[in-house]
This record gives sequence, structure tokens and C-alpha cells, in this order.
Amino acid sequence: MPIPLEYTRRTLDEIRAGSPEHVEQLFADLRADFDAASSTVDSADAWKSFRDAWIGRKSGVLSAISDNWLKPAPPELKRVVGAALNQLRAHVEAVIEARRLEVEVSADQAAAVREHVDLSLPGVARSLGTRHLIRQTMDDFERIFLSLGYSVATGPEIETPYYNFEALNIPETHPARDTMDTFYLDLPPGALTQYLLRTHTSPVQVHTMESHPPPVRVIVPGKVYRRDNPDSTHSYMFHQVEGLAVDTDITFCEFKGTIEYFIREFFGPKVKTRFRPSYFPFTEPSAEVDASCIFCDGAGCRICKFSGWIEMFGSGMVDPAVYGFVNYDAKKLCGFAFGLGVDRFAMLKYGISDLQLLFQNDVRFLRQFP
Amino acid sequence: MKVLFHWLQEFVAVTASPQDVRSRLSLAGIAIDSLEESPAGPVLDADLTTNRGDCMSHYGIARELSALYRLPLKSIAPVILSEAKDPVSSVTRVEIECPDLCGRYTARVLRGVKVGPSPDWLKQRLEALGQPSINNVVDATNCVMLELGQPLHAFDLDTLAEKRIVVRRARPGEKITTLDNVERKLSKDMCMIADAARSVAVGGVMGGGESEISFFTTNVLLESAWFEPTSLRRTSKALGLRTEASTRYERGVDPEIADLASRRCCELILQLAGGELLGGVVDIYPAKAAPKKIEITRKELLRVMGSDVPDRDIEAILSALGFAPRRSDATPGAAGSLMAAWECTRPAWRRDVSREIDLIEEIARHHGFDKFPARMHPARQAAARLPLADAEDRLRERLVALGYQEIVSITLVDPTRDALFRAEGAAPAKLTNPLAEDASVLRSSGIVTMLQALEWNTNRGQRNLRLFEIGRAYTLRDGKPVETRILTLGAAGLAREKSIHEPAREFSFADLKGDLDCLGQLVGCFRWESGVPAWLHPAHSARLSLNGVILSEAKDLSSCAHGVAGQLTRRIAEKFKLRQDVFVAELPFDPLCAALEAARAKIRYAPIPRFPAVERDFSLVLADGVTFAQVSEKIRALAIPEIISIEPGDLFRGGAIPTGKYSLLVRVVFQSHDATLTEAQLTDFSARIISSLEKSLAAALRTA
Repeated sequence: MPIPLEYTRRTLDEIRAGSPEHVEQLFADLRADFDAASSTVDSADAWKSFRDAWIGRKSGVLSAISDNWLKPAPPELKRVVGAALNQLRAHVEAVIEARRLEVEVSADQAAAVREHVDLSLPGVARSLGTRHLIRQTMDDFERIFLSLGYSVATGPEIETPYYNFEALNIPETHPARDTMDTFYLDLPPGALTQYLLRTHTSPVQVHTMESHPPPVRVIVPGKVYRRDNPDSTHSYMFHQVEGLAVDTDITFCEFKGTIEYFIREFFGPKVKTRFRPSYFPFTEPSAEVDASCIFCDGAGCRICKFSGWIEMFGSGMVDPAVYGFVNYDAKKLCGFAFGLGVDRFAMLKYGISDLQLLFQNDVRFLRQFP
Repeated sequence: MKVLFHWLQEFVAVTASPQDVRSRLSLAGIAIDSLEESPAGPVLDADLTTNRGDCMSHYGIARELSALYRLPLKSIAPVILSEAKDPVSSVTRVEIECPDLCGRYTARVLRGVKVGPSPDWLKQRLEALGQPSINNVVDATNCVMLELGQPLHAFDLDTLAEKRIVVRRARPGEKITTLDNVERKLSKDMCMIADAARSVAVGGVMGGGESEISFFTTNVLLESAWFEPTSLRRTSKALGLRTEASTRYERGVDPEIADLASRRCCELILQLAGGELLGGVVDIYPAKAAPKKIEITRKELLRVMGSDVPDRDIEAILSALGFAPRRSDATPGAAGSLMAAWECTRPAWRRDVSREIDLIEEIARHHGFDKFPARMHPARQAAARLPLADAEDRLRERLVALGYQEIVSITLVDPTRDALFRAEGAAPAKLTNPLAEDASVLRSSGIVTMLQALEWNTNRGQRNLRLFEIGRAYTLRDGKPVETRILTLGAAGLAREKSIHEPAREFSFADLKGDLDCLGQLVGCFRWESGVPAWLHPAHSARLSLNGVILSEAKDLSSCAHGVAGQLTRRIAEKFKLRQDVFVAELPFDPLCAALEAARAKIRYAPIPRFPAVERDFSLVLADGVTFAQVSEKIRALAIPEIISIEPGDLFRGGAIPTGKYSLLVRVVFQSHDATLTEAQLTDFSARIISSLEKSLAAALRTA
């Protein structure tokens, strides 16, 4: 912007402005010039020069007026010049500030166009891992049961027949042993103890009661093994969470309440629970727990075989015979136990049809459960 | 077990629909898996629990229905059409030499029967229940078994030597060819039905071919017996032979029903095949026992079930099931009394019931589990997680944040593969009875399963992998199994994939080291040392220790029992068909968790300095073999408290650097808690560092 208004570099005397009217006319002209110049400001750079030209401390028009007109003004004009200058300054400053905002907005708009980014492009990727679905499910179980006051216990996967069978009221001759096909460990000749891969997490019930006086509330997550040929519902190895509660005031009603609470917490408040009498050597009465089908809300579908119910797990009141193996007083104590199939729960919750998927560790499967 | 709906109705006049019967039975513990139509009417398929041998018949299930619907159960009263005057004892004799295996043996003889095909109604029934029709006599025995649960066997009397029966143990080396035409070796624990000369049947399991009923048979000896379930189960298992008869016997047949079932079968044979029945029965019954009495009290019912059942329901259920309850408390007239007690007489068909709790279960399942209200009980103790669970969570969280996917492997593996990573001298935990050779040993380390997971994924086009597993490794020590928790890492392919923002980068040993050091921050830092098992690349691998302590107490046992990390050798990688560079690490997990907790307990806040930090770079030329750690140690040895970090900035060989030497840029950061450092101080620090490195490590300062 050209430095305007050369006459502001001279004194009033020099430009022969001796009357207040003349002074006011000078200011009115200045204001008109300013307004005209302000309308041409269209960029940040132009705005800066414009600002410096008018209110720059050293060479700005207003400083020049102050130096050249006001300071040397004769006393009779000083008031007029002062008042007019203040008026002009207020106007100038307000307009410059307003123009600044306008220029910034239009600069931002220009930048937005110029630096436009395709928002559909990805950001810088960070590859994150995942917890395995079995782990996630076990963590869910643990959280629910911790909230009910259940501690977590653990035990060996390689067990003795005593803990896996006898102490759970399954003597060697019991037909129930046929339903749990068992892997046995090959031991050096002369070994005294026989070992097997536990077929359920229930042996930890016995370990727990052997080492803790009642009352007891535990869950036992872990791996279990069955000698079944692998297919979409069978595997050499799978996961269980055993539960056990023993106290002087636990009855079948508390058993039902606890299981119902668990099912609702895991599957959601709409899911109903049903208890069907069953048989396990270490519980009496025994119950199969069914949940209303989560796929059809109990209306009947292919997955629940049109029954509206899905069999979830076995459970029941601890058989008094089991207390005999751990020196608990069967006359005073009562309790319940259950064995949750972790893999089965995960499969049902996420609609997985093949158990093998859980153990193949295909990353395309693992990534689906962040 | 399959049952016909109309056959059930012959014993109990149920008017409810088959669907209703199905659901009522299922909710009383007789799970009905399916309900299908057949030419003989609706068929219910019951998936019976192993304790309910009494329900392996129509009559048994009808009894459950009579209790459920509170309807009377019809009794069985055979009408014998034609009975001869000659007593059966004049024709045959029975001897039981092994009363421990055979508790009852009844024999009847029918004369002049005409063996032929069965009538259609019978064929239809048998076929609907999956039982092939053989001939009218055999079909009659099967029909009664299905009806009453008593297995029966018909012999051609004229083929029996001396026409008599000896029940005895198998003789040494004895063999028999059973009805299915298989010659079977016998052992002395097996109960055989023999005639005067040889065995003619495996007791309770299957008959022999030579004495079977044929179309030429006219005289029939009908066996109705009771065999001891445990020994019978062993026999059936040893022979690999499960039959309709053996499944019933091993679950427990009612010994009392043998004679009634025999008469019912004779009634049927006479109807179907004519002939006449000889008078009376030969009945040897060494196992006859007095009925067992069991008492049930309301107090115990309440203690276990938590909610009451009215007197009349208790009595109706127990009566219908055959327990003949009788009030036995002091005030039997008081209905609903808390002191009420009933003395029950166990029927012979319910050998699974022997205690009060068993009766409680009978009442509960017939009353309906749904009638007991659901309640919660307050906890008396605080709940505790496993001792190292929080530490485990932190380590897992960090691994996930570092981009590692958690895997869960089947721990049964191939012994040859497992041996690759097993330390010499460590004994593997092998299975006696594996189902497959490649799953016949429990893994001795997590490396084998980790490589299998990498193999699985690379074979399926998934090449950029970072995996971890927290699991157990299994070995035998002095013949005893040892389970050790381990953390295993595996990585291959790209550390970073190419994107519009960044170029691709291969995963390298430095990535593995960096990732492990991120875990190290949680556990109080790893020390990296050389010396690794032969399956790791000697230059790109290390042994890890923690606070200067090797991670395991048993470093000699397993190559993975202390921490190791590095690149797999080509030779091993190829065995898993892994063609890209593969990196693995394995650490014993419990010491890691313990170290994390200890490190966490020691954390204290350190004040943030208020004065600026100053960096000084030292461009050193060092002889090959001098390590960064040595440089860093020498600088630290000067004990300049203002030094807050020593980091390598750049490293290169070649160019102006003579062979045998390399250039290392070391960046040292100085900072004081008390004042801004002056130029004079910094010059002094630098001079001391240079002089020390020159003297002790023969380092030369490189001039740009």
C-alpha cells in the first residue's frame, strides 16, 4: 500500500490549516481515505501493511498526526485536533480489528480448500493385539463371580485318579467313567502313582476343601482333557470354570439364585434359566442348566432344535459322599457345584459353529474379538 | 433308549399329548431327545443318565409317568395258556458256581414250540425301536426286555449237553463264538452260562451260536437272570461287546422281576409259537436280599432344598415311585409338621437309591425344580483373585498394546517336534493312550505350539504375525509331573506394513528386544546375555535374566526354563515350513509376575528437575568387541551426578572408519536439580568422559 497522505508529515501550519473547520475537514477527508483503503484489504499481508500504515508506532498515519499536527498545534487548535484524532483513532482501530477477523476467516477458508485431506484415508496405523476369546470369556466369568464373593483357585492339569474320580464319588467301577474318556500318562516302570489328564476342573473342589475349612466359595478356571476325536464340538482339550460354594445355610434355592444371576449377567437380562434334573456322581440333586435360546429368544430355531432352550452346563448340590473325602461335616454343611464349559459359552455368545476355531489360532479369527 | 407312546399307554392311561409327555419327562430328569412318528405311533427317544437302569423299559418309564400325572400304574399279570403237568425240574437243572457274578438264575422250559416269523404288530414295534425281528421266540424275549427291562435269553434245549445249565467262571484258555459270529477269548472274571460240556453264552452279554434258536427248534429253555453290574461291565468292556442286555445289566436290572418277566415271556411265546410250558420254575436266587429301609425327614428336605413340599405331594410321589412311604415320627397325624418323617421301603428296581438325599432328589425332581424359589446368599468372606492375577493382567495388557495376539494352543503335540526344544535329560509327559501320534505328548515348551500357530497362519497367507501365549509346559521329574507356567512370544514378517504414511519394515531381533524390554520396564529390567540353545541363531539371540538372576531355579532341565529370545535357526524353521525369519521368546511366567509385583512395590515418585537439561554428543571410534554397555559403564563410573542418561545415537562401520573398528555416537544428557549448568561445568564433564574412554577403552574421538 502506498504511503498515503503526504500532508500528515507536515505541521498544520505548513499546510495552512488555521481554523477548527479546516482541521475538521482534514479529519473528515482522512476518514474517507481510510475507509476507502480498508475496503481493499484482502489478505493477511495486505492487512499487516494497512495496519502498519495507519497505526504503526513509527510511521503510521496516526502517529504522524500526533507528532506533526497535535504536538506543534497552536493552543487554540490543540483541543480540536486532540478530539478529532481520538475519534479517528477509535474508528481506525475498530475497523482494523474487524478487518483482521475477516481476513483470518477468509485465510482459513482458503487453507481449508488448499490443504484439503481425504478423510476416508486411514491415519497412521498402530497394530494392537487382542486377548484370546477364551481368556475374555474366563475374565467375564471371573468378574461376575468375584462380585458374588467367589475367590479364584487353580490346580494341576495332570491329576491322580483319586482326585479326578474317587474323591468325587466316582469309583473305578462306575459307569460314569465311560462317559469321560480319559488320557493316561505313560510313566516309567515301577512308578507308584498313576496319573491322568483331568477330565474336568472338579478335582480342584477336592483340593480346595482339603486345604480350606468351610465356608468355601471358589471358581476354578482351567484346561481339561477328554479322549474324544476332534470335530466341530469335540476337542482333546477344552476349558472349564468349576464353581463351588459350601456353607451352613446354602440350599437348592441359593443354588438356583446364583446360577440365574450368572446367566443373566453373562448373556443379558432377557435370558431365562431352566433347571432340569440330571445325574452326576458328585452332586445330588443334580441339574442340567438350560438357557433360553439367545438366537431366537426362546421362540424355537435350528440352533435350539426348536425347543427354545439350549443346554448350558451340569451342576447340582454337592453329594454328601464328597464331604466324606475331605472331612467336612455332611450333616451341617450343604453346598452346590457347577462346571461351566468356557468354550461352549464363547461359541454360543459369538455364534461360532466350530470348536476347532478356538485352538487353530488363525489371526483372522483372533482379530475378530478386539 | 427309544419308547413307543402307545406302549406306555398300555400301563398308564395318559391322555396328555406326546409333546406334553416329552416335556414333563424331560423336566423330571428323563431327558427326551426327540419325538418322532413311526408306523407303530410316536417314538420318544430318552437319553437316560447312567443311574437309571430302571427306566430302560416301557414299564419303568410308565412308572415315572404315573408319578408325574398321578395316574395308577397297571400291574403285570401274565396268563399262561397251556401249562403241562410235568415239572420243569424233571427236564433240566441249574447250578450257580459263582454267586458273586450271578445273583439269580431262573429257567423255564417250553415244549413243542413252532419257531416262525413274528406277527406284523410285533415286527412293527421292534423295528420302530431299532430292534431287528429275528423269529417269534427271540422276538418275544426282546419284546419283554423292552417292556419290563429284564433281558431274557432263549436256548435250544436240545443243543445243551445233558440239558442243564451251569453258571460258572470261564475256564483258562476257553473261547466262545458268540451270536455275531466272532470267536472270543474269555478270562476267568467272566461269568459264563454253560451246559454240562461247554459255555453256551457270555452271561448277560450275548449268547453263543451253537445253542441259538433256529427254525428247527422245538424245545426252548428260557433264561431270566440277574448278573452283578460291576463284573458284567468289565466283561463287556474287555470283550468290546455292548448289547441291549449288557447295557441294562450294567446299569442295574431289578433282580426281583426275573420270575415275572420269565412268565410274561412264556405267555407271549405260547401266544406266538404255540407249545406248552412245563410246570413251575427253576429259580436259584443266592442274592436275595431283604428290602432296604430309608427314612426321610422334612427337616433334611428343608435343609437341602430350602423350600417346603406339602405332605400329600411327598407321599404321592414316593408311593407312585414304589417307595411305600409310612409316617414314622411321633405325631404322624400332624400334617405339615416340621418333625415329619417317613420310613420308605426301597423297591428292588431302585438300587441307585440308598440314602435320604436320594429320596430328597426323587421328591424334588417330581415336585418340579421350578417350584423352588431362586434366592441369593450373602458372602461371608472377601473374594480373592489368584495371587499373581493382577501381574498377569498387566503383562497381558502390555503385550496386547505391543501388538501381540494372544493364542491358546492344544497342549498335546507331536513328540518329534517337541523334542527339538526339549532340554537334554528332560523327560516328556507322554500319553499311554493317545488318539493320534501327533498329539501323544504334552508340550515341554511353548515354542512347539507357537511355531505350529505361525505355521498355520503362514500357510494361509497370513505372514505378518506377532503372537503370545500364557500357558503351561509339562515334564516329568523323578517320575512326577511338573507343570510350569510360561510366556511364549512368536513373530515373523513385517514389524510395520507399508502405508500411505510410512514405508514397510521387517521385524528384526531389535524389535523383539524392544518389545521384551517394554515388558522389562514392568518387571525391573531384563539383562541380555549370550548363550542360548542350539535351535536359536547364535548371533541374533540372547538369554534373559532378571535383576541379575536367571529366571528359573532349574536352568539345567529345560532350554526354555530360563528366558531365551532370538531368531530361530533356518534348520528348525524349515521343519515347520517357515520360510521367513522367525523370532521367538520364552520366559517362565510366575517369576515374571512376582518380579512385576516386587518392582511395583518399589516405585516412588522422583521430583521433576526445574533446570534445563543439556545434551552432549560424543562421536567415538571403538575397536570391534567393545560394547555400548562397556562405554556406558565407564561413563557411569565417573560418578557425575548430573548425568541423567546415556544413549547410543548412531552406529556405523566402513567409510573412513578403519577395519576392525566402528563408530559409535553416544549422547549424554546432563541435568542438575540445583542450578542451570554452566559452560565451564559441561566442558569439564566432557573432558573427563573423553579422557576416561580414551584410557580405559582406547576410544578415539572422531572429528567431523
